Amino acid sequence: MNPFWATCLILSSLLEGTRGRVLYPLPSKEHKHKQPLQTSRPYNIAHRGSNGEIPEETTDAYKRAIEEGADFIETDILATKDGELICFHDVTLDDTTDIANHTEFSDRKRTYQVQGFNVTGFFVGKVRQRYPFRDQQYNGKFSIITFEEYIAIALDANRVVGIYPEIKNPVFINQHVKWPNGERFEDKFIELLQKYGYGGAYMSAKWLKKPVFIQSFAPTSLIYISNKMDSPKILLIDDFSMATQDTNQSYWEITSDSYFEYIREYVVGIGPWKDTIVPPLNNYLTAPSDLVYRAHAHNLQVHPYTYRNENSFLHFDFRQDPYEEYEYWIKTIGVDGLFTDFTGSLHRYQKCASGILR
Amino acid sequence: MSPLWATSMIFFSLLLGSHGRPLYPLPSKQQHKEKKALQTSRPYNIAHRGSNGEIPEETAAAYMRAIEEGADFIESDILATKDGQLICFHDVTLDATTDIAKHAKFANRKRTYEVEGSNMTGYFVVDFTLAELKSLGVKQRFSFRDQQYNGKFSIITFEEFIAIALDANRIVGIYPEIKDPVFINQRVKWANGKKFEDKFVETLQKYGYGGAYMSTEWLKQPVFIQSFAPTSLVYISNLTDSPKIFLIDDFDIRTQDTNQSFWEISSDSYLEYIANFVIGIGPWKDTIVPTKNNYLTTPTDLVDRAHAHNLQVHTYTFRNENSYLHFDFHQDPYAEYDYWINTIGVDGLFTDFTGSVHQYQEWAQASATNEASALGLLHKLALMISSFEGEE
Repeated sequence: MNPFWATCLILSSLLEGTRGRVLYPLPSKEHKHKQPLQTSRPYNIAHRGSNGEIPEETTDAYKRAIEEGADFIETDILATKDGELICFHDVTLDDTTDIANHTEFSDRKRTYQVQGFNVTGFFVGKVRQRYPFRDQQYNGKFSIITFEEYIAIALDANRVVGIYPEIKNPVFINQHVKWPNGERFEDKFIELLQKYGYGGAYMSAKWLKKPVFIQSFAPTSLIYISNKMDSPKILLIDDFSMATQDTNQSYWEITSDSYFEYIREYVVGIGPWKDTIVPPLNNYLTAPSDLVYRAHAHNLQVHPYTYRNENSFLHFDFRQDPYEEYEYWIKTIGVDGLFTDFTGSLHRYQKCASGILR
Repeated sequence: MSPLWATSMIFFSLLLGSHGRPLYPLPSKQQHKEKKALQTSRPYNIAHRGSNGEIPEETAAAYMRAIEEGADFIESDILATKDGQLICFHDVTLDATTDIAKHAKFANRKRTYEVEGSNMTGYFVVDFTLAELKSLGVKQRFSFRDQQYNGKFSIITFEEFIAIALDANRIVGIYPEIKDPVFINQRVKWANGKKFEDKFVETLQKYGYGGAYMSTEWLKQPVFIQSFAPTSLVYISNLTDSPKIFLIDDFDIRTQDTNQSFWEISSDSYLEYIANFVIGIGPWKDTIVPTKNNYLTTPTDLVDRAHAHNLQVHTYTFRNENSYLHFDFHQDPYAEYDYWINTIGVDGLFTDFTGSVHQYQEWAQASATNEASALGLLHKLALMISSFEGEE
């Protein structure tokens, strides 16, 4: 074949390649009208996915939660040595992975283990169920996922499913992980959300298409991102004895009326630990505090954590019945969302209590 | 005072005493002429030993809580004391559920007896009179359940149990068990050659229990008589037409009276035979659907075959604690009810948590009716409309 012809052939085949074939939308993605987020009853927040059944914060745990009717899938975002954002709760790998089986990493044991690993190191380890009394059959089958993979799971669902990521241990992360251009953990967090089209104030049309709550125990992180993103934020509140990691403020300070008045400029709600709202004694509930009432008076939602089915987590008032617990918190205390390890049970309760079993 | 006056005074006062004042019915009992009937449209909620998930088993308080929570039947185990009194108590020994260990004066009553083929050591109910047993305090069997009532309640008698049921302001059935009859009849003797089973039936009849299943008489005072011992049930079938339930234990346990295996007494031919005397069977859950690694495996055909012989199936025991829930149910007791009621199709559930079963059944019933009701229709419309709301 003469060179001229060859060149023409090559050129025209390249042209063909660049034009390519017509891109049709994937047939499975044709469901333009996704069933919207329900907003008429308290939010069912799948805490770390359905981790009552499947190891926490894995793809399968999140997919199961979506299957079971979660309104939001919740996660904790941490960062790896090389600055990747991942879904993982503890700063150490010991409790929920098989890191102990990996002799190649045995020299990484430190006071601060998570930072010792880059992305590759993480994905070598497999996730396992945290609690021995829960199903162990999936141990070692799943890997840790990234923030992006988590977002993809939510966006890929066949109904509108919200995400509820936490800016976890930001003080610690920013000390140990550095990003170029002086960017911080919070910046990378926001960037990822915006990359996938999240944004819009609470209940705006934009928000309802891609619902999100950004949560953190660190108020300064939430204030910092409030300049960059109008997505609704939730201030998490720990137990009575814990001070905030960034501002070293006590429980009593950050739950005072004056603090609520201040923080409500930046957040739409608070996420307290259940037992601080209604303190227990001898595994019985005592009188509820006025925390929910005051939060509501400041137009702040209340999403307490965490609801679990196992009787060791249920106060005796509920006669070992998780549905009694939901009933109490939803009807008597009047919370606006529930972080639960058992999203299926909460969903069933909410359906039953409204009279329709489906 | 003269002796004549005194005598007259005494005489008259005696007369007055014997006239007495007129006996009026208690006001609290007047309104209950039309007690709400027993529900018979869905599987029976059988409060196993009362609401013992919350309150120590087989006490008055446990039974009253169960009635409050909506039980269809309150269930009990009947044993006998040294002096032939029938009591509500599950174990033949007092060790696990009473404070017997604290009573120094009974310390010398500890014995070892053979019970259903194996030796057991402890304080046996048959070595104590009723009065002695009444001096004990009952406690919660399981350490992970509420301990706050320990020592506050006593053992009750069969008659007291019946009174609790009859005193309720709706019709509540009773479900007493002829418990360990072989052992009891060995250790306790009654006058006139009467046996444990005779005294059991006598007590029921004294309070007006009788009538075949679903008869008018039965519906006024519902009762199921249960036992693991088939000969006891056969024996009493001559004495009472009240419905009887044949309890079946685990795979490796043999009947105490006839030494028959699980496989024999659950066979088609046996079911055909026993169907002449009982209206149902009470098997252990894990023999209907065996489990492996805390997961359910394939259900057996026991329920189908029982139903084919027109025998009801009342299975035991449903408990809320996650240690009793197979992983299929993801630690959700309501998922377990759903499976047994809707997938397996049992006719009754023995539960430690009668309130939870009741709540589940009420919701399930409400949703079934709501489907056809206006509320259901409105909800459907709302769903249709909301599916378009997302469109901008």
